[in-house]
Amino acid sequence: MNTFYDLIVVGAGPAGLAAACSAAQAGLKVLLLDEFMKPGGRLLGQLHQEPGGAWWNGIREAELLVLGARNAGAHIQTGVSVTGLNRTSDNSWTIWTNQGCYHAPFVLLATGAAESANPLPGWTLPGVMSIGAAQVMTNVQRVRVGNRGVVIGMSVLAMAIVSELRLAGINLAAIVLPPGNALSGNASDPEAVLGSLLRFADLAPSAMLKYGAKLLQSSMLRKLALTFFPKQGIRMLDVPLQLRRCAIEIVGRDAVEGVLIADVTARGEPIAGSERIVEADFVCIAGGLYPLAELAAVAGCPFRYVPELGGHVPVHGENMQTPLPGLYVAGNITGVESAKVAIAQGTVAGLSIAINAAAKKAPGEAEVKDAMAQVKRTRSEALIQFHPDIARSRAKLYQTEIV
Amino acid sequence: MNEASIIVCRCEEVTLEQIRETIRQHGCSARETKLRTRAGMGICGGRICRPLLDRLAIKPGGDFPSELPLKVQPPVRPVSFTDWGQS
Amino acid sequence: MMSYGRIEHHPVLGPLPPAETCSFSYDGRLYKAREGESIAAALLAGGVRTLRLHEENGSPRGIYCNIGHCMECRVTIGGITGVRACLTPVKEGMDVRSGTVLPTPFRQMAEDERSPSL
Repeated sequence: MNTFYDLIVVGAGPAGLAAACSAAQAGLKVLLLDEFMKPGGRLLGQLHQEPGGAWWNGIREAELLVLGARNAGAHIQTGVSVTGLNRTSDNSWTIWTNQGCYHAPFVLLATGAAESANPLPGWTLPGVMSIGAAQVMTNVQRVRVGNRGVVIGMSVLAMAIVSELRLAGINLAAIVLPPGNALSGNASDPEAVLGSLLRFADLAPSAMLKYGAKLLQSSMLRKLALTFFPKQGIRMLDVPLQLRRCAIEIVGRDAVEGVLIADVTARGEPIAGSERIVEADFVCIAGGLYPLAELAAVAGCPFRYVPELGGHVPVHGENMQTPLPGLYVAGNITGVESAKVAIAQGTVAGLSIAINAAAKKAPGEAEVKDAMAQVKRTRSEALIQFHPDIARSRAKLYQTEIV
Repeated sequence: MNEASIIVCRCEEVTLEQIRETIRQHGCSARETKLRTRAGMGICGGRICRPLLDRLAIKPGGDFPSELPLKVQPPVRPVSFTDWGQS
Repeated sequence: MMSYGRIEHHPVLGPLPPAETCSFSYDGRLYKAREGESIAAALLAGGVRTLRLHEENGSPRGIYCNIGHCMECRVTIGGITGVRACLTPVKEGMDVRSGTVLPTPFRQMAEDERSPSL
C-alpha cells in the first residue's frame, strides 16, 4: 500500500482530531490513525459537570470533533496500530502500521498518555485494572466492571473517575492509599495526598475538601487535619475516602476476592494489628499519567524530563514543532493536561503545520499566535490542574528550546 | 513489605525484590537492570513498568536524565510477519 | 460464572444505544455480544474475567489497561495469536481462545540437574 498524504496524525484523541480539522481546513490532505475501534481517545470516557452545571460529555465532544475533522476532509482510520516511523531520503516520513505503511512530509504525534501504576501483591489477578480501564468499560463499553470495588490510589484522575463510576451506579467499598514501598513515593503519604487532593477541591463534593481547601494550604494544619481524620474515612459520593488506610495486598485465588487493608499513621506507616479484609470483586489501581512518547523516541526526537508535565516529554516549541523536520507533537504527549488544553494544542499544531507546508489556505502567523494564546487561556481556566506548576514549566521549556 | 511478592514487570513476572537486589548488587542503570532481570522486556514493550524501572534505577539523591533512560525499539506494538510483509 | 451485566440506564449518557447482537465462541463456549463492542467488553458482560494464564507461571490474567497498552488481554482469534481483546471488535462467529502455560523444557532441565533425585 502506497498512499500519499500531506499530514499523518497518529492518535485520534482530542489533540489529533482538532489538528486534523485545522490542517484539513487549510487545504492539507490529512490521514488520522488510531488503534481504538472508534475515534475520540481518552476523551470518550470523560463525563463531568462544569461549574455552570452543564455536563462535559466526552462521547458527544468527540463526535463533534470527528464531525469537524471529517467535514474538513480528513480521513479517519481506526483499528490501525502504528508500529514505528522513520525519515526517508526524500525528506518525507514513512509511518509503519500493522496494516501497511504510509508516507507524508508532515507527521503529528498525538498519542496521549499512559497510566502509571503503584504495584502491590495480587495486582495481576483478573478483576484488578487500571482506573482508566474501568472508565472505558463503564462509559464507553457500558459494561459493569463488578459489583463492589476498591480504588487504590488517590490522584486527581482517580477522583474524577470515581465520580463517573458512581454516576453509572457502580458500587465502591472504599478508596484507600497504596502501600508504601520503594515505588510508591508520595502516593502513600497521607499529607502529600491530602495536599494534592486540594487542587481538586472545586470538584470535590465533599464539604471538607471544598471549604477546607484554603485552610489546608498550611502544612501544619494539614498534619492536624490528618491526626483527626476519621479512620473510616470521609464520604465522598457515598464512597469512604480513607486517607488513613492503605491497601496491603489484593487477595483471591483465580480472581479478586478482596483487599487486605490496614490503618496507617499520619505519616503513612501501617499500624500492626489493624489489618482486615474488605470484600470486593474488582480493584482499580489509580496511579498517575505519563506522556506516551514512544513514537517520538523511535523517530529520534530529543527529550526533556519535566516532572510537572508527567515525566519525559519530546522537545517541542510553543508551535508544537519538534527539532526533527516535519515532526510535530500535541496533547498529552507534550505533558499531562485536560482534554480542552489538548484540543487547543491540536489546533495550534494543525495551523503551524499548514503554514510550514505552504497549504493552499494556510493561516497567517497572527492566527497561530491567537491559537497559542487560546492554549494558555484554556490552561488557566482548566477545572482539573494535574500539576500546579504546568504553566511555569511550559514557559521554561518553550524559552530554552530553540526549535 | 515483602518485596518478593510484588510483581513490577507483569509480562515477565519480575518482582520488586529481584530488581532492587540486582540494582544493589551491580549498581546498575535502568538499561542494565532490564538486561539482567528481563523487566521491561516483555510483550508490552515496557509500557507498564518503564516508569517504575526508571524510578528504581535512580541513584539516591540523583535526578532523572534528560533523555529516556530506556531505549524504545520499533515496532512499538507487536506485529506479525505477515502484516509486516504487507508494508 | 457470575455476570455483572451492562449499564442499561445511565443518568447522563441515557439508555444503552440499540445494537445488533451477534454470537462468538470463547474456548468453545458460545457468548452473545453487541455488534461493534470489544471482545473484552463482551466477555466481561458474559462474566468472563480470566483471558489467559501466564505463559510460564500459569497465573490467571484479565484486562488491565483496556486501551491496548498492556497486552494482558491478548487472545488467539482464528489461529492468530497475540490479539488484544480490548481493541478488537467482536464479529459474528469469531473463534476466540484464551492463552495458556507454555512448556519450559530448559528450565526443567536446569532444575533436574540441580536436584538429581533419580
